[in-house]
Amino acid sequence: MSIKGMNVSERNLLNRLDIRLICLIFTLNIIGLINLYSATHGPHSKDVETLFVQQIIWLIAGWTIFFVLTFLDYLWINRVVWLMYIINVGALVYTDFFGRIVLGGQRWIDLHFFRYQPSETMKMCLILVLSRILVHKNPEGPGMGFRELLFPLTLVLVPFALTMKQPDLGTAMMLMFIGGTLLFFVKIRRSIIIALTILGMIAIPIVWKYALKDYQRHRVYTFISPDSDPQGKGYNSIQSKIAVGSGQFFGKGFRQGTQSQLEFLPERHTDFIFSVLSEEWGFVGSMIVISTFVFLFLVCFEIASRSRDKFGALVVIGVSGYLFWHMFVNIGMVMGLLPIVGVPLPLLSYGGSGMLTTMAGMGLISSVAYRRYLF
Amino acid sequence: MRNQYISNPEEARDFIGRYRPFYIFVAITVFIFALRLIWLQIINGQELRQFSEKNRVKQNKIAAPRGLIIDRDGKALVENLPGFEAIVAPQYIEDIKTLSDAVAPLIGIEPAKLYERIQKSKKINGPFTNIRLKDNLSREEVFRLKRIRLDFPGLEIRESIIRYYPLQENGAQLFGYVGEISKKELEKYNKANTQNGPLFEQGDIIGKSGLEEHLEQKIRGVDGVSFIQVDAHGRQTVTEIPNIYGEQIKDIEPIHGHSASLTIDKDIQLAAYKSFTDLKRIGSLVAMKSNGEILAWVNSPSFDPNIFTTEVPTKILSKLTTDPFKPFRNKVIQDHFWPGSTFKPLVALAALQEKVITDKTIISAPGKLWFGNRYFHDHNKNGAGNITVYEAVEKSSNVFFYKMGIALGVDKMYNYISLLGLGSRTGIEMAREAAGRLPNSTWKKSLRGEDWQPGENLTMAIGQGYVTTTPLQMAVAYNTIATEGKVVKPFVVKKVVDHEGKTLFERFPSEVRDVTLPQPNGFKIDRANFKIVKESMRRVANGSSGTARHWKIPGVEMAGKTGTAQVMSFSADQIYQSCDARPVHMRHHGWYIAWAPWDKPEITVAVLAQHACHGNTGAAPIVRDIMQAYFQKYHPDLIKDALKKGPIKPTTSAAPAAGDD
Repeated sequence: MSIKGMNVSERNLLNRLDIRLICLIFTLNIIGLINLYSATHGPHSKDVETLFVQQIIWLIAGWTIFFVLTFLDYLWINRVVWLMYIINVGALVYTDFFGRIVLGGQRWIDLHFFRYQPSETMKMCLILVLSRILVHKNPEGPGMGFRELLFPLTLVLVPFALTMKQPDLGTAMMLMFIGGTLLFFVKIRRSIIIALTILGMIAIPIVWKYALKDYQRHRVYTFISPDSDPQGKGYNSIQSKIAVGSGQFFGKGFRQGTQSQLEFLPERHTDFIFSVLSEEWGFVGSMIVISTFVFLFLVCFEIASRSRDKFGALVVIGVSGYLFWHMFVNIGMVMGLLPIVGVPLPLLSYGGSGMLTTMAGMGLISSVAYRRYLF
Repeated sequence: MRNQYISNPEEARDFIGRYRPFYIFVAITVFIFALRLIWLQIINGQELRQFSEKNRVKQNKIAAPRGLIIDRDGKALVENLPGFEAIVAPQYIEDIKTLSDAVAPLIGIEPAKLYERIQKSKKINGPFTNIRLKDNLSREEVFRLKRIRLDFPGLEIRESIIRYYPLQENGAQLFGYVGEISKKELEKYNKANTQNGPLFEQGDIIGKSGLEEHLEQKIRGVDGVSFIQVDAHGRQTVTEIPNIYGEQIKDIEPIHGHSASLTIDKDIQLAAYKSFTDLKRIGSLVAMKSNGEILAWVNSPSFDPNIFTTEVPTKILSKLTTDPFKPFRNKVIQDHFWPGSTFKPLVALAALQEKVITDKTIISAPGKLWFGNRYFHDHNKNGAGNITVYEAVEKSSNVFFYKMGIALGVDKMYNYISLLGLGSRTGIEMAREAAGRLPNSTWKKSLRGEDWQPGENLTMAIGQGYVTTTPLQMAVAYNTIATEGKVVKPFVVKKVVDHEGKTLFERFPSEVRDVTLPQPNGFKIDRANFKIVKESMRRVANGSSGTARHWKIPGVEMAGKTGTAQVMSFSADQIYQSCDARPVHMRHHGWYIAWAPWDKPEITVAVLAQHACHGNTGAAPIVRDIMQAYFQKYHPDLIKDALKKGPIKPTTSAAPAAGDD
């Protein structure tokens, strides 16, 4: 591709756009589409066939958002960060009381033409609001102490509690992890980390007994011993492991995965899309996808380190955390390393809210990259 | 856009040191994932692949047995029988053509048709969806199919449950029948399911009419799931390969549907049906205990619900649906007719209560009456003479009641007779009950825009014109007379019991109202007047000129009223023409509604014999037979004394007395 024919501003544009980012995201999208096609075109999939086309539409919308955000200076967003956070919390409160329940305890607001899931966008708002606050922190010191942590933690715990109430364990966990990532990035005093760890260990039995619902406890039981409930939650986990393992090295081939085609795997197009991938593309395919994610993270880290300002860096880290933790929990659960919680695989799973949120996040990263300090 | 929040690139460099932990964490994660993938896909891959291909656990639905319907003595009215069905799973068929050629002749289908069916289903529903080839297989068919099963993977013989109706045509409209759920019904039922009960699926058998439909949710049961491991050919395996589950998964047992205990008495139901059909009658009847419990329920012509357990041959089905006398209709409650002369005792009640007459008043009742601009006729050219209300009912005099109608007027008649339940639904637990019609002047004005004509009082008083009733309504109304004022709520379902015998629901006889007490519309009917009308109706069955006197049961005195409802309006000479000479659809309907014993009522029976010309010859013999069956079962001592005197002579075709009703 020759850049001689372009004028200065166009050349500048091309130079500044982080092409690696775009290519990596696009690759994951394509892989996702291929697997989605397989997952939605099996013999028992009559009701999910249209999802494939819908996903393409979501992708187009997502990429539009991506480019819009890229060319927008992200500092504009800085102004509305608090407003967005508060509105989103309000929406969460609303759904807690008036929303419709779908699988896994997530609640939506039915806007007739679109179902809005506040817990999805909450993750993004949390990232933005935390980034704004943590800009002042100086990571060169010993790190944040208890007093300094109080306010940011509250900002995390409020939506956490609201989402737990839905009850959406998966999303709540994500909020915790993403918040934790950002806080960790800005450095927390070591003593606090140790204290929190101890606190966590004490808290686990308490939370176990009082805060978790029956079926959530059940989930963990069946995680530890799936054979104890092979027809219930254990069934999913077992079927997923079979799917992944039976792919062996090269996989069974496109649309040849018996676990998915014969409906042994539920939620093939959302939570278990990686199982479909592993069954059909084997070790080779799985590692390619994981590697692509890793390259994506590396690129993001590099973009953060070259950011024009602290806010940008924090936003990038926050979104990377979002991406990483979703990937970590989803693939972990599909492989039977973690209990089954309803967390989708970003950029690959089917889902409007998720896709748009993720692409918006990517757009922000792209915007930071676009404005990076070149020297 | 710089403000105090934003720092400069220099400060951004502060974060440099923080990236390290992140890189490390990502590296560890990838390492762990890779290890896990190696463990699952490389090390255990072979085993898991084998498992996924050779040992699959299939979930099969175990159909829940439907609850039984039993009579008041515990005898089965609707039950289940074990049966067999032939199923193919297309994914395992090696060659569809050879299978069709081999299997089709064994079950009486054309090979080409079978081939088409399998292909079609495979295309639409995919190769993994089972196809039911034929159900309710005969033993021969099962034997033949089982022999070739080994040669044809994919062919399965499965146990199924067949719904069986031992009474066949008898009571078919009451019990209803079952069939496969249609797409529309599927949507409707699943939408209405708000309590997270089990959803309906394609292929489910549901009740389509009658009690099977009405009690569907209760007698349905909950299907179970069986987990079987199948090999690549779809056949059940005993695994040699270690089972990843570690142990056998237990089936989820189906839950038997609840059973319904009805008030119906099987013996009386059989006697009623036999009597009705021996005399080749068309129409309906209902027999009810005086407390509202229904003992028998017959519609004729009828159909055999057992034909619906397999695919019905279109010839039979079209014959039933085009039958002009409508075998599918539940005529006891769905169709309403003119009551004819059976309406007269109700008018008598109104007349007595309004003090238009007393029991001693003598009224002249000739053969015809001039009113308005024409003559209104009696069925007897000579009339009945000068009579009291007793004789008026006994002989069923038209003119007497024309005069009552004139004196009362439609609204007064409406006020009293509506208390007995005419014009409104009884509320019995079945769908599609008709409310019949009891007119008044406001009704006519609002629905037809016309004023009530005085002449219509006369036709109404003899049960023609706008008045229509169902046999059930008449039974309840007459029962009210028999009990001297108590309007009962008729019901059929007495108890619903679960499969362990625990009663989930029980209904007890209840009284809707006591008409001897003042009612919301301000009217009532005194006991004394009921007694008068009762006596007059006793004479109908026992008096020397009673229209039903030829159909008595020695030992027990009945009371009731015959009725002839004209199908069309006739001119004077047409009325006197012989009914039997006319084509069937032009013949009058015959009613007989009676209770027994006349003074301490236990059972009320309403029989409507359509197109039978007369109420007495048409309907009364059937009432007599039903009463006889009842008393022989419950009070044999009463009849025995009478039987000692001599056998009961069945008089089915005595010539109608001069007092034709």
